[in-house]
Amino acid sequence: MNTQAPRSALARNLLLLMVLVGGGGAAAAYASVGPSRFWANWILWTLFLLTLGLGNLFLVALERLVGAHWSVPMRRVPERIASLVPLAVPLLLIALLGVPVLFPWTHAEAAHNPILVAKAPWLNMPFFVIRLVACAVAWLLFYRFYVGGSLKQDDSKDAAFTVRARKLAPPFMVMFFFTVTIVAFDWISGLEPEWYSDMFGVYLFAGTFLSGIAVMAQGVLALIRRGRLPDVKWKHYYNLGTLGLAFTVFYAYIGFAQYMLIWYANLPEEVVWFKHRIEGSWEPVALLLPLFSFFIPFFLLIGSAGKRSSKVMFIATLSILVGHFVDLYWLIFPTLGTPVFGWPELSMALLFLGLGFLQIRRAMGRGADMPVGDPLLIKGLEWQP
Amino acid sequence: MSDGAPAGTFAVVGLFSEPQAIVDAATKIRSKKLGRLEAYSPYPVHGLDHAIGLGKSRLGALVLGMGVLGASLALLFEWWTSAVDYKLITGGKPLFSWQAFIPVMFEVTVLFATFTAGLAMLFAFNKLPFFGHPILQAKAIKDITRDKLALSIESAGADFDPEKARQALVEHGAESVEVLPIPSWGKSLTLVGLLRTIAAIAAACLVAGFGIYVAEKMVPVVPPMFRIHDQPKLNAFHASSFFPDGRGMRPAVTGTVARGHLPVEFKTPEEAGKLLVNPLPLTDRTAERGRKVYTDHCAVCHGVVGSGVSLLSSAYGAKPANLIADSARAQPDGYLYGVIMLGKNAMPSYAPDLDEADRWSAVHYVRILQRSQNAKDEDLR
Repeated sequence: MNTQAPRSALARNLLLLMVLVGGGGAAAAYASVGPSRFWANWILWTLFLLTLGLGNLFLVALERLVGAHWSVPMRRVPERIASLVPLAVPLLLIALLGVPVLFPWTHAEAAHNPILVAKAPWLNMPFFVIRLVACAVAWLLFYRFYVGGSLKQDDSKDAAFTVRARKLAPPFMVMFFFTVTIVAFDWISGLEPEWYSDMFGVYLFAGTFLSGIAVMAQGVLALIRRGRLPDVKWKHYYNLGTLGLAFTVFYAYIGFAQYMLIWYANLPEEVVWFKHRIEGSWEPVALLLPLFSFFIPFFLLIGSAGKRSSKVMFIATLSILVGHFVDLYWLIFPTLGTPVFGWPELSMALLFLGLGFLQIRRAMGRGADMPVGDPLLIKGLEWQP
Repeated sequence: MSDGAPAGTFAVVGLFSEPQAIVDAATKIRSKKLGRLEAYSPYPVHGLDHAIGLGKSRLGALVLGMGVLGASLALLFEWWTSAVDYKLITGGKPLFSWQAFIPVMFEVTVLFATFTAGLAMLFAFNKLPFFGHPILQAKAIKDITRDKLALSIESAGADFDPEKARQALVEHGAESVEVLPIPSWGKSLTLVGLLRTIAAIAAACLVAGFGIYVAEKMVPVVPPMFRIHDQPKLNAFHASSFFPDGRGMRPAVTGTVARGHLPVEFKTPEEAGKLLVNPLPLTDRTAERGRKVYTDHCAVCHGVVGSGVSLLSSAYGAKPANLIADSARAQPDGYLYGVIMLGKNAMPSYAPDLDEADRWSAVHYVRILQRSQNAKDEDLR
């Protein structure tokens, strides 16, 4: 259980090459296509990594909160993917440089816009930075507590940590909902600050949870394929499929509810945001969203056979992840105008995916593949559906 | 229940203590094909469903199918009601607004799916109503509902041999074996029993209803929610303390115009004849509407054909205008409209009784009467 697979230097070098090529492309993009497209890509990919990491930190805390056993043998996977949070924090801090480029409320004209003047107590640079730093500190503290504590437990076998982790789970939930809402409002809907939707924080939360489950399932399946989780059977990831199915429906429900209410009320200041995103050249992108995030995973996962099959789970969760990327692209890029996708986007994708995989690879080197010190591990391995 | 099994045996039941023992026994006995296998257990046992040969339940597929059917029916119905049968534009949206239909589709999907799941499970797959399962008469039932597991070989035809079944159960480790006879049905299904049940339900309804009546009328506690006339509300013709002027009805805002009663810009019918043209096209509908307006309001004095002769006019000694005379035929549409609006001689204004479309339709109908009384040759062709 504690054996480490031989770590291939080739994979690491390939990832480094990815980062180098992507970084070069990104720098060229900044110089040639201009800073706004560069920063839009930067924010998109930073949020992609951040939501995957936060989603997995949330899954770790959720297991503690509800006292689940079935997920304990797989918990090292979300703990390792949560290491994307400490990667995304400095990336978000760098993204502060792009805020004056992309965010209209930082521009001089905002002083003449009555809506933005009314929102100025929230949307101003000092408070924006304070919120970001507060969120980052909260994430990093909880990351240290949950992931670092769990790693320490491997050797210490200290059952008291399991009790403490459960006690801190409710405050984590409160922190999580506040910070995800702040990220949604600050970094996404702030791009078009005249728009408002109370549900938007929940929408990003639904996407975060859904893609968190999807990337966790991908990690579990990848480790099973490499033979590193010999004791994890279909009965364990079956539950990930069930959760994924439920949150596919939840995500679609929140997304549709937000759309339908705004469509019905037809208020000009709200509806223009959607009008821009579902008409004209954005229409095909908008149609990809329900396809990848709802229809494909829903119908693949609804039967019990689908959730048992590693192949079906792989396709369904991959579709959810593609849907999450399309979602963020569809939320952020319409501020630039018509859909653009070319070499700048591909280089940024290489850069950030390379960074993300390198970070997860580093996290893979720490601790066993299963939380061997957790007193609930035996119960989790013996768990019967 | 059974179809002539020897000695009237319903099933042979064997008791087991260990979950693994019953699973092993069921697997082996199943291959002997002695009869239908059924298992009773106080807690779920993994693998027992496969061991007694239960296939994959068809309930899931049925529920999915009915859910899809519900969604389609809801969509079809919403499309037909709002885009075909009763086209009503709501909030400036298209007639077929799928966004607004989805909540109803969702609800109907859930309704169909849950009802199918519940009812199909109870009636199609679990074969209810089924009064008094024979296992309830067995001595083993006490143990089954406590901590033992039972494997039952049910009679599945004329070749069922209770003795062979008994031997197979003993051979595969059953702790005790019991032969269940086909039960004699109790008295619950007799006519008297059914009538008693119905009478008991009726009596319960009567008692409950009387109790509510007494509680509502005679016990002066908090008034129940369903006295809808007690709620605070505005009555148009009653005093109310809600508004400062103490009236329930709001006075109309200055300059309010009722639908179809736009103020007129003329003082005499002659002026109207110069100002106005009939805005309504002459169609079957306007002609029919004009006929109705004329018959209800005009014919009583001007006569059914418009000749100015009627029973009522002779009784009152008035002389209503002859609408089919040349003088009336020469007047423009606007003049006739002006007379309806302002009245003439003894005729009062009909403006309050008729709305704008009624008046212009009546003008059309008067023209039709004039033409019918002065028909030309080509009208007959």
